[in-house]
Order: sequence, then C-alpha cells, then structure tokens
Amino acid sequence: MKPNFSLLYACLLAAPAFAAPGVMIKDEDLRAAANAGANAVGRVTKGATVEILARQGGWTQISSEGKTGWVRILAVKSSAQGGGAGEVLGIVEAGTARRDPGKVVAVAGLRGLNEEELKLARFNPGELLLLDRYASDRVDAERYAREVGLRPQSVAYLPNPKRQQQDGKPGQPGQPNGLAGY
Amino acid sequence: MKSSRFIAHRLLLLLSAVLLGIGLVQAGDLEDALKSIKKKLKEQPTTPQPVQPVPPAQPMAPTPPATPAAQPEKPKDQLLKALLGGKTSPEEEARIGQQIAGNLLGAAPLVRDDSLQRYVNRIGRWVALQSERPDLTWHFGVIDSDDLNAFAAPGGYVFLTRGLYRKLKSEAELAGVLGHEIGHVIRKHHLKLLQKSQGVAALGGFIGGKLKNENQLLQNLIGNGAEIVARGLDKDAEYEADRMGMVLTARAGYDAYALPAVLAEIGHVAKNDKSVSLLFKTHPLPEERLGQLSEAVGDRLEGLPEGQTGERRFYRLR
Repeated sequence: MKPNFSLLYACLLAAPAFAAPGVMIKDEDLRAAANAGANAVGRVTKGATVEILARQGGWTQISSEGKTGWVRILAVKSSAQGGGAGEVLGIVEAGTARRDPGKVVAVAGLRGLNEEELKLARFNPGELLLLDRYASDRVDAERYAREVGLRPQSVAYLPNPKRQQQDGKPGQPGQPNGLAGY
Repeated sequence: MKSSRFIAHRLLLLLSAVLLGIGLVQAGDLEDALKSIKKKLKEQPTTPQPVQPVPPAQPMAPTPPATPAAQPEKPKDQLLKALLGGKTSPEEEARIGQQIAGNLLGAAPLVRDDSLQRYVNRIGRWVALQSERPDLTWHFGVIDSDDLNAFAAPGGYVFLTRGLYRKLKSEAELAGVLGHEIGHVIRKHHLKLLQKSQGVAALGGFIGGKLKNENQLLQNLIGNGAEIVARGLDKDAEYEADRMGMVLTARAGYDAYALPAVLAEIGHVAKNDKSVSLLFKTHPLPEERLGQLSEAVGDRLEGLPEGQTGERRFYRLR
C-alpha cells in the first residue's frame, strides 16, 4: 500500500495521522518549538518509544505519552525497518518527492556535473587565479567573527564509535571537552 | 641479460596498455596485478642494465629513477616524486591539490558572484581556523553546477556546488558543509587515496626509468585531476569528516547540529534524482551518516552554549 504522500504532508502538522515509530537514544527535553531557547514542555528518556512527526532544521518533532514537542535531530532513531531517522523523515517529508525506482530523473536545463565531465576536465589556470582573489586571510576571518559575535568554543573531536566497540569499552557517557578524540 | 631486458620491455608495454586502455584505473585491481608481476620478476635473475645512468632500482625504492641529465625537471615529475616518496610537504600537497582544483574548475567554473565567493571564503577560513591546520592556504569556491555536491582537494581546496548552496538555510549550515570538507583536508583523505596508487609508479621505477610514460603515470594517478573527486572515499573517511565537521562548526561558535540538518535535507531528495546521483555514488546515504553521527555524538555536546545559526545574515542566492 503506497500512502498518498502529498496528502500526508498536508495533514502532517494538523494531526499526526501518519507517524513513524522511533526510539530515543538519549534523554532529552521536549521543547515547545524547534530551538534550544524554547520552553521545555516535558522530558523523554533514553529508550522511550515515540512517534516521529516532522523535521525542521536540526530538530525533530515527536509525540510521546500524549505530549508533542521538539527534540534534537540526533536524539531519536527510527524503529522502522531499514532505517536511520533520516529514512523515516524522508518518508514523512516525502511531499512531492518522486518515487520511481530504477529511473534517474533529470530536469532539462539544469547544469549537472557527472563523472564523464570530471574525467574529461581540462586544467583551467584562469579560474584558479580567480579563486585566489577570493581567499580570506586570517585577520579578515577573525574580524568577521568578531563583528557578528561568533564566539569560539573549546570542543574535543568526537571519537570513532566503531573504535570504541572494538576496544570492548561501552560508549562513554558525556565527557564534554576532555576526550582525546581525533 | 637479454631475457631481463625483454621482461622489462614487456612490462612497460603491459603497463602502458593497462593504463591507457583502462582509463579509470582501479587502484585496488592494479595493486593485485602489481603484486603478481613483482613476484614473477623476483624469480628471474636480474642484471643491472646501464641503459640510463641509474643504479638498478629496487621495488618500492624511495627515490624515483633519475631523468636523463639534460632534461629540466617538470612540475609533474616533482609531483610524481612526492607521491612516490609517500611523504608530501605542505607545498607539494598544495601543488597536488591545485592540479585537482584546476581541473575541477575546468569542469565547473566558479559562480560569477564576488560577494558570494568572498562570503564563503570568510566563513570557510573562520571554520578552518578552528582546526589544527589553520594556516594552510585555504581556498573555498562555489562552482557552477546544479547538482548537490561538495569537494575537497589536498592542501586546502574546498568547493561546493551552487545546487548544494541553494539548499542551505543558514550560515551555520554552510559552516557545517565546509567543516566536513575541511575535515577531509585535515586528515588528508584524498592525498592518502592518491598515495595508495603509487604502487603503479613504483613499478615504473623498478622497470628502470624509461620515463616516456611518467607523465602518463601521473595523469593516471591523479586521473586527469578531477576524476579523483568522483572516485569516492571509504565510508569511514566520510563518517570521520562528518564528526569533524560538527565539531569544527561548534568550535566556530555555530549550532553544531547544522550539519545533521543539511544531511536530513539531502535525505529528503529522491534517491533517483540526477542532482544527487554522483553524491550518492561517492558518499554513504544521509540516513547512514545521521545514524553514525547520533552514535558518535551521544551526550558529548551537552553543555555547549547554544551556537549561532546566522540564518538572517546568510547570503542567499537568487
């Protein structure tokens, strides 16, 4: 049975007529809106089953135990077969996306960049000169950051989860800024 | 004596045929072919052949065969030398990257929008400054293609297509994409891919320095420059670049979750859409990448102050 995607998308926010099952992979506050400044309207715990409703930027809308709200996109995983949260979100958001497996769809008039063109590409020194002109030096970049109020943070690289599994260590709970990640 | 010259000659022919005939050289396959050829050669008695003023080359010699004395060393010869050595200086890395970048731009030139390009360079440089290689000669460019893709080349070259740029909703998302590519450069993923193919060049050295094919060797190593970006890195390299992208974005003061947001947005595009066909050929699917990121992040970004999105000031393309 193929759901009618356009209809789905339209109904999505009105009433969660179509929701995909998900599971929380960490404890999270449920927020009233898709931003960290929004009020917490509840809390969902790691392992809780939820319904995934929508996505907006880095946030996912879910419903859990009668409450609806937003959590970080990475905090919830789809329990639907085959997939990560992304796949479910893809279904949820399908909207007007074409589903015609086996047929590559191209739109006339759009400039593509395929393997053949890349293979046949000829060195263009003029473009490189142009590229040089646009380069930003350190001073320029730092000035910009100051002007717009970007404040650098100290954050360690995230370790490779696969490595940790190989070492036989369970994943470490949050250790901000102290890990010797790479 | 005659037999080993004969063998060397045959090998040269085989090599030329292989390189010219195959076009897109699969490094892996050649490695296997190489191994079997080398094994056969080891079984033959070899005598030094003073055709060129070179000592008999050993397999995997760190120094390349010397060119005939009179010939000035071409830039490509130097590149080959660097690749052969397995150790490239920052300058050589940048020359290799420049070769690739120049070819990529030959396929898709820069979008003619000064403000756009300067903006992207500024954001890119700011993000790169948060890494352990802040002072490479970083170059960023938006290239003229409606496909969704981004590319990195050794030494600090980062490109994204206009098609991808148009999908972005904020400065933080731009930072996320650039951060991912910067990660590739920091970890030298493309450079390492190239150096793996140096097995071919090593064979060239072993044959004894007939260098008519050296340029062709280099050409096939880099593969006409832009071809390498169509080869794709292994999944782990992509996952690593994703992790680094998130962290560099956060370090730069942006919302760390901007990169996952871009991945989710890309995941929304139909898989058979032409605009993503090369992207999905060369990268794991967005859902896989999001899953990997979820696992990698865990709780580690708790306690970070809320980063900026820079949504309102984001430079939008018409």
